[in-house]
Amino acid sequence: MTNLVMLAALPILMAVLGLTAFRLPFFRQLIAFCAWWQILFEAYIFRPLWMGRESISFFEGLAADKTGAMFALLSAIVIAAALTHACIFFDNEKPQEDLSDSKRVGVFYASSSLFLLAMTLLCICDNIGYMWICLETTTLVSAPLVSYSRNKQALEATWKYLIICSVGIAFALLGTVLIFASSQHSFEHGTLQLSELIKNAASLDYPLLRLGFIFCFLGYGTKAGIFPIHSWLPDAHSEAPAPASAMLSGALLNCALLAIWRLVQVVEASGHSDLALKLPLVLGTTTVAAASLFLVKQNGVKRMWAYSSIENVGLMLTAIGLGSAPLFFLQALNHSLAKVALFLLAGNIVQTFGTKKLSELRGLLTATPPWGLLLIASAFAVTGAPPFGSFISEWYMLSLSLEKHLWPVFAVLIASLSITFIAVFYHIAACLWGTPAPTQASIRISVQSSFIPAILILACLIVGVSPISKCIIQFF
Amino acid sequence: MSLSIVEIFAVAAALCAVLMAGSLHVKRNIFFYMVQTVLLAVVTAEIARTDGELNLYLIAVAIAILKGGCVPIFLRWMVKRLQSYSDPGMMLAPPLAMHASLLLFALSYLELGSLGALPGSALAASAAASLLLTGLILMLTRKTALSQIIGFLVIENGIYLFAVTQTSGMPLLVEMGVMLDVLVAVMVAGLIVFRIQQSFEHIDVTQLAELRD
Repeated sequence: MTNLVMLAALPILMAVLGLTAFRLPFFRQLIAFCAWWQILFEAYIFRPLWMGRESISFFEGLAADKTGAMFALLSAIVIAAALTHACIFFDNEKPQEDLSDSKRVGVFYASSSLFLLAMTLLCICDNIGYMWICLETTTLVSAPLVSYSRNKQALEATWKYLIICSVGIAFALLGTVLIFASSQHSFEHGTLQLSELIKNAASLDYPLLRLGFIFCFLGYGTKAGIFPIHSWLPDAHSEAPAPASAMLSGALLNCALLAIWRLVQVVEASGHSDLALKLPLVLGTTTVAAASLFLVKQNGVKRMWAYSSIENVGLMLTAIGLGSAPLFFLQALNHSLAKVALFLLAGNIVQTFGTKKLSELRGLLTATPPWGLLLIASAFAVTGAPPFGSFISEWYMLSLSLEKHLWPVFAVLIASLSITFIAVFYHIAACLWGTPAPTQASIRISVQSSFIPAILILACLIVGVSPISKCIIQFF
Repeated sequence: MSLSIVEIFAVAAALCAVLMAGSLHVKRNIFFYMVQTVLLAVVTAEIARTDGELNLYLIAVAIAILKGGCVPIFLRWMVKRLQSYSDPGMMLAPPLAMHASLLLFALSYLELGSLGALPGSALAASAAASLLLTGLILMLTRKTALSQIIGFLVIENGIYLFAVTQTSGMPLLVEMGVMLDVLVAVMVAGLIVFRIQQSFEHIDVTQLAELRD
């Protein structure tokens, strides 16, 4: 119980600060500072897990296992990085006359803090009912993040986000009820407890469990942006302000996939790994293939990165389908680091050059050399080129699919990854080289604006070249 | 064929949803939604009486007050503020939509009756399924944001009815958390709808189609 209070204290404090102290000159820096402390707090609270304990219980229905703890930490890192960069981002944002700016920024920070809280709780859920509540809460508290700029496009994106995700998640609730009903044969009152469900998976009523799993998969899949039901994702990610896009892409998608992974475990334990693994495997590879084709024809900077997120969701889903939790986390880690850097950089570029269109951006390397170089590095990192971290996770994934004789998966992944690489660099090269428009030629950029992206890329590089990824795989 | 009280009220709630599909009048739809939710509260209370579960009484009261009282009041207030009294409708004309949802009711009865794996009564389950499907029809055949919210609430009611009749009741904390989320969802969606009205000067969500690839 004390641990739970400790875990939730800082995000709640941050939210209160955002809502009340938004007139103070340094409230943004203060909240960002708290966000970094939250990482340390979490690392401290989860310490028995680092020592080798299997799980720590917080409260009835809330218990952290290794995967959950790692994902909670990753979410906290993403939020801290995005909020720190946001301090600079909002300084450079053009003032809008109609509303009190500082209050809106305060609401932005408060929603991000609650977003962090909801995701942290989601990661330590041991109860599929709480898991549903947390995931729906993430939708509700992140809607104000998407609608921040309050123009027509942002409102349209928010509406789509809210409605599509809520209806999707409603189906996941139905799935949760069905799984609950399936447990009534072996438990007198039924159970929602994940650990109990996994332990007694063999005695669950399979037809109900199967139906429930499929509903949950589609529901949480909507939230994760898997292929046929991804339509909200590019809109929301491109219209949200850059730090919010970074948080949605770097943290939320992982959490939705974590929810799917938990249910996959239940079905797998019931002895039907055929369904449990095939569904994510097939939909994962389809998503990778579809996203890589979408990437070929893109005209918005942030939309392009949004589709690249969909591609990475497909890869993580494939890792789940291959039955490998460490690969799932490794891919999530690399994607989050690189994608947060990319969205923050894209935010800088959109702010400075005043356009989101790829066709209107030219000569970034001559106009803003640091951003240009970072953009190249992070694009390499996100498309899985060596020496960055995602190369390792994708390499492992490909070799694992060969080991399991899944030739079609291997072929589709190889083809889609190549298409993605070529498409992304085709688009980026046009922006990087060429002559900048006269108004864009002499732009002064601040050093701080490349600070967080540079650190994230460095981290991605370290994961790629050092034995950290091996340690992570062994840790699971 | 003798019907239990639970089944009668569940079917009545489903029929309320069918009537909603047949009307484009927003205030009337909100009224039907209220009746439907109160019926669900009665279903919950009846199950609580037969099972002797104290928790379910609590949930029944919470549903009647929060979902059956506050939400309709909030929605009516929105209708007044937005001056959006009727919905233009699309795809299916209301009478057709009503018949379609009746047909879905019949279909879900036949389907779920044959499934047989469910521990609870098949009639209540088919009422729940028909609520869910009618909610989907409402969301598909309505144009304004307000009607879409109402459609979503009907879907949620369907899922709740399913949970309460087919299981021995979800844990109290989970049920309350879900209800809280739904309430907050309605509030957040309401705020966004006001913003949409401010910038677009209409709340026809089918016209929000600027973002595409």
